[in-house]
Amino acid sequence: MGLLKDIKSDGYKNKALRIMVLFLISFFMLDFFVGIVLKNGLESYYGFNENAKIALVGHSHLMLGIDKVQMEQDLGYKVAKYTSEGVNVANRKLMIEHLLNKNNKIETIIYGVDAWMFTGEGLSENSHALFYPFLSDASINIFVKKAAPESEYWTRKLIKSTRYSEGLISSSIRGYFKKWDNLKSGTVDIERLNENILQGNFRSINNNPKNIKILTETIEILKKNNIKVILLYVPTIDIVNQFEKYKFQETLEIFINFTKKYDNVDFVNFLEPFSHQHDLFFDPIHLNPKGQSVITDTLIKVLNNY
Amino acid sequence: MLFNSWEFILFLCIVFAIYFSIAFRFRPFLLLVASYLFYMFWKWEFAVIMLAVTAVNYYTGLKIAKSTSKKQQKTYLGISVFASLLPLVYFKYANFFIDNFAVILQELGFKANFATLAVILPVGISFFTFQAMSYSFDVYNKKTLVETNFINFAVFVAFFPQLVAGPIERSSHLLAQFREKHHFKFKLLIEGSKLFIWGLFKKVVIADRLAIYVDRIFENPELYSSATLTIATLFFAVQIYCDFSGYSDMAIGVARMLGFRLMQNFNLPYLANSIADFWKRWHISLSSWFGDYLYIPLGGNRVPYIRWIINIFVVFLVSGFWHGANWTFIVWGGLHALYYLFENWGDKLLNVVKLIHIKKSRIYQTLKIVTIFVLVCFAWIFFRANSINDAFYIAQEIIFFKTDPLYLGASSVTFILSVLLIILLFAVQLLQYFKVASLYFSESKMPVVIEFSWYVLLLLGIALLGMSSNAFIYFQF
Repeated sequence: MGLLKDIKSDGYKNKALRIMVLFLISFFMLDFFVGIVLKNGLESYYGFNENAKIALVGHSHLMLGIDKVQMEQDLGYKVAKYTSEGVNVANRKLMIEHLLNKNNKIETIIYGVDAWMFTGEGLSENSHALFYPFLSDASINIFVKKAAPESEYWTRKLIKSTRYSEGLISSSIRGYFKKWDNLKSGTVDIERLNENILQGNFRSINNNPKNIKILTETIEILKKNNIKVILLYVPTIDIVNQFEKYKFQETLEIFINFTKKYDNVDFVNFLEPFSHQHDLFFDPIHLNPKGQSVITDTLIKVLNNY
Repeated sequence: MLFNSWEFILFLCIVFAIYFSIAFRFRPFLLLVASYLFYMFWKWEFAVIMLAVTAVNYYTGLKIAKSTSKKQQKTYLGISVFASLLPLVYFKYANFFIDNFAVILQELGFKANFATLAVILPVGISFFTFQAMSYSFDVYNKKTLVETNFINFAVFVAFFPQLVAGPIERSSHLLAQFREKHHFKFKLLIEGSKLFIWGLFKKVVIADRLAIYVDRIFENPELYSSATLTIATLFFAVQIYCDFSGYSDMAIGVARMLGFRLMQNFNLPYLANSIADFWKRWHISLSSWFGDYLYIPLGGNRVPYIRWIINIFVVFLVSGFWHGANWTFIVWGGLHALYYLFENWGDKLLNVVKLIHIKKSRIYQTLKIVTIFVLVCFAWIFFRANSINDAFYIAQEIIFFKTDPLYLGASSVTFILSVLLIILLFAVQLLQYFKVASLYFSESKMPVVIEFSWYVLLLLGIALLGMSSNAFIYFQF
């Protein structure tokens, strides 16, 4: 074989092999270290290791809607906030299982709901990527393996630093600095919103029975673990709520029905009066810091009454 | 198949192992098969076009070499140029001509509504066409020996590392290398890998990250402030450099691993101290192609002054048009021609007023580097804009600057990271400029430990901050 012959006769062989092996060892050691550092920060950001009594679970809607620091100060106990952009109902079920594995002291889960949560479409299609940092967790590993393309999965499995997107790195850094601030300052542009709706640029409500079933399964898991569930509707702006009024009400009825069916479930609805206060919104479905503060205050009052 | 994919890494490992294991005489054939496979990953039908361009130039090359009269040689060269350019014109320029012909007719009062052709531009067509044509020119000009072995010639046109985005090689440089007996060498493997890693970092960490901001702003420029448009233009300047030079570095690195030497395509272009210097540093293989096969045949600078000005415009306008069938590219080329001429007139003026000595001062040189960078960035507006109207709008907003707030993009983290990466890039370039760090395969003055750590960190940077993208900007050309 020419290749083997060439390798044998190459005078630089030993030095080159040493360099290459050292290079790979250095890379994987550094990668391992970066993986640990980022994962620790992320776990701190989500509040996994704080023995929280209450956990908030949802997507960006809840992430920007509730201030966990304010909750902790006013309630006097730790609150975990496991929220991520674009996570769908199935992802949230996985997040809750993951959270329960990490913390067995949770008494209440505040589960962010909205009228579009059973629609599915419109949320991130590659939301499995949000779970890459936790591939060492068996249930997450199974979920990601099913959802991710094979080459992507194995790359993440082998090289830990590939598991982090910019958003996850940012969350990890925030975790170290204990920063959970809502940075979306500004107010929704009502004129543009109305224009967009007129042009048909809005997300339609389509309650998929599969997604309703997943929420049912999630609630049953929590019931088994004696955990109270608060389905929390952080307000969305009235303009989008009214667009498909009938479907919107139909979805709210689904949440109410859960409270009738399960004694561990409550539905806390902040649509009234806040959905009409446009100065609380950064965009049609996300609150700005002012909105976050108002809604958190109101939630704290509700929790104090339990 | 993209360089920044696992498919390519696997493909390269297989080709590499087989290439060095088989007998020398079979190696060009292996490279030919590998190159066509590589190309057919995009669309197999396009390989037929490449094969046709190869066959035409191979045949005309033989005929030119055998012909005894200049007239016959010219005829065969003409056939070669015409037949090579035919697919390029059809796929790349036909719709442009149809559209503009219709506009002219409408301006003249005729009703003209022509259907455009539903064609997809074969990836890399401009590159392999120009590479094949350069061979015919070189045979005609007796700058290279005629290649009688079709396999060798076909692999010269299709050599996979540089097939789809250059460097556009010359037969006198690359063709002979297919006859050489390459041995596997660890030194070449390491050198090639280092360049590949640096190219990959520029592509997936810098260029693809900047693209998110740039694409968003250039898609709807009217929605953004002057400051935002300025930053988007600056980002694009870095994006296109990192994208294209990143590809070139990877191509040169891969070829190096196999024992081939490809020409350097970029030489710190944003540190150029004149427009002429910029074009000696940017896409060197294309600018030298136009120099050798267009500018010099037109007479170069050995013609009357007015004719020389025309030559300059022709070269730059054709160069712009080579990049794409859009007026934006033509204006971009025209702007560079104007810069070139103004620079020439400026030098003449310094001569007249006897201030030519200031050209050597450090302040003048630094100011010139900054000025050239600003001018080049300004021209990039036309290169990147979606339409000529958008380009003029952006240029106007930047010139008549209004102090509206800067848009940081969807994520301020991405923005800050982008700025830091640009600073890192320029820091590396300065180290390369002052010959402290290695540029291509030059000697590095960096301590071994630092250089070693640098490449480990680059690879980690790729893993941690790399974005996934589907294409390189220059693939569309």
